[in-house]
Amino acid sequence: MEFFTSLLNSMPGAVAQGLIWGIMAIGVYITYRVLDIADLTVDGSLGTGGAVCVVLVLNGVPVPLALLAAALAGMLAGMVTGLFHTACGIPAILAGILTQLALYSVNLRIMGTGTGGGKANLPVSVDKYNLLVSARYVREAALSNPLVVLVIFCVVLVALLYWFFGTELGCSLRATGANQNMARAQGINTSFAKVLGLMISNGLVALCGGLLAQYQGFSDINMGRGAIVIGLAAVIIGEVIFSRIFRNFALKLTASIIGAIIYYMVMTFVLRLGLSTDDLKLLTALVVAIFLTVPYWKSRYFTKPAVRKGGKNNA
Amino acid sequence: MKKALSLLMASVLALSLAACGSSANTTGESASTADAAETQESAAQSTDAAGTTYKIGICQLVQHDALDAATQGFKDAIVEKLGEENVDFDEQNASGDTANCSTIINGFVSSDVDLILANATAPLQAAAQATSDIPVLGTSVTDYATALDISDWTGTVGNNISGTSDLAPLDQQAAMIQELFPDAKNIGLLYCSAEANSVYQCDVIEGYLTEMGYTTTRYAFTDTNDVTSVAQTAADNSDVIYIPTDNTAASNTEAIANVVLPAKVPVVAGEEGICKGCGVATLSISYYDLGYQTGTMACQILAEGADVSTMAVEYAPNVTKKYNAANCEALGITAPEGYEAIAE
Repeated sequence: MEFFTSLLNSMPGAVAQGLIWGIMAIGVYITYRVLDIADLTVDGSLGTGGAVCVVLVLNGVPVPLALLAAALAGMLAGMVTGLFHTACGIPAILAGILTQLALYSVNLRIMGTGTGGGKANLPVSVDKYNLLVSARYVREAALSNPLVVLVIFCVVLVALLYWFFGTELGCSLRATGANQNMARAQGINTSFAKVLGLMISNGLVALCGGLLAQYQGFSDINMGRGAIVIGLAAVIIGEVIFSRIFRNFALKLTASIIGAIIYYMVMTFVLRLGLSTDDLKLLTALVVAIFLTVPYWKSRYFTKPAVRKGGKNNA
Repeated sequence: MKKALSLLMASVLALSLAACGSSANTTGESASTADAAETQESAAQSTDAAGTTYKIGICQLVQHDALDAATQGFKDAIVEKLGEENVDFDEQNASGDTANCSTIINGFVSSDVDLILANATAPLQAAAQATSDIPVLGTSVTDYATALDISDWTGTVGNNISGTSDLAPLDQQAAMIQELFPDAKNIGLLYCSAEANSVYQCDVIEGYLTEMGYTTTRYAFTDTNDVTSVAQTAADNSDVIYIPTDNTAASNTEAIANVVLPAKVPVVAGEEGICKGCGVATLSISYYDLGYQTGTMACQILAEGADVSTMAVEYAPNVTKKYNAANCEALGITAPEGYEAIAE
């Protein structure tokens, strides 16, 4: 019973982390599902977001402004990947890896700005700065509880993206991902659409980085390591569970956020069960692999081909 | 199959919603759980005459010999002083993933541990952010002022945080370089740019070395992959190389040794592990002793009711000058009096 109360007690923290990573998951959803590009820039741009946000806050910039700057920096990173891919003809996955690598140096430089140069880790304490979200208050029933802010953040972002992907520009992005040749035949500049998509995605990821840095109280050069796997896991968990119910685009984005929350709840749960953290990465990789495999096998081995069924009915 | 999976996940979800509800609900509910915990505790007290069982959460950044030794020392000190049956360790390792630290610390705070040991910088920062009332002790942290962004450092953190620092006195290390290599001119500082502790140590020792008349140059590598080439550049341009207590360097001593030994450039290291692999001499602190000292501090807080906010950050009790016999011989260096050979 004590185990259960303690688990229940740790859930607000897990949900808060899930909501933060959910924003990142939406970013991954946009590249991976909408644009059909596996973008590895995110491992770097998450750190960029954290670095920009913390450096600005330490230098006296108001937190909302710092978050905005973080998102813009992430969009810049996304633009670099996009230009590597479209203007320089580098395969998308490699373009992402290149930007991610370059961002390591960039992030070190950013964190060194105005803090004495070359920092790998920058603390930002909730006692000294007016942070938007902090792990300190996650169990308090007050407006300063990060859950409130994060839910608002997620709702606003989903609404904005829902609106955007309904506009002509947004539709051209979806068309590019669905069928590039057809999109081009319709007069869509697919290169532009890809760059824009990568910018939006990395902007969201960097925003997540900024929030994460505030939540955990520091920005670290290694904070983005393996982020893409968490993002993918969230997207896929969300899809597997909700694909039958959630058809609407806004709901699909929400599914990614819920996927991230579930990911962190499961992680908290297995850690509470006493799983050795040495095996955590293996577990994460396996979870993603299983969630990717199940729908594929199901459609391949457990579904009767639709064509035969149709033929029978017609006969 | 899928349906079953969905059902399972849905139930997990429902559970989480319930959890959210309870947290957002009111303080009443959380107070009632706290009450429950208290009654449990008092029940434990009444049955166990020796005293309460202390719950201690240990969050370690990464699997590493030095950090492992510190954790072990901490546990040994507590078991020795409080007795094995009176203490319950929840030991978790973030496997080098800084985001994991928050998850682990969140678990500790929610299960209401009596004390948190944050082994290395990132866990300390995560713990500082997550709680302001559970006592947090850090260890293997080099500089608390840098790690916690304290501008007017007085030696005491002043809130719920204290601990031990793994800083081997840098002025003494600089003095050691001067003692061993008075004729050297260029000192290369080799470290990993991802480690805040290393950057800090280089900043400080650079000051001492420049004062002594040496020219210092920094050679930072980013990760395991470019250690060899950066070490090569450092070896080509330096008379002596200094490596601080850098975790990445510690994992790559073989690679560094393969570069510096053929180049005949001696390495002075910030800790024994690095010196054993590729160095000639070091000023050594024992991470086990450091952990043990932290454990002693924990006992003062838990059993003797010491106030953590008044406890100053402590440093390693004993510093020993040590040398690597094999490497010294290979480079034709004779260790002066007072140096102890590192055990093979």
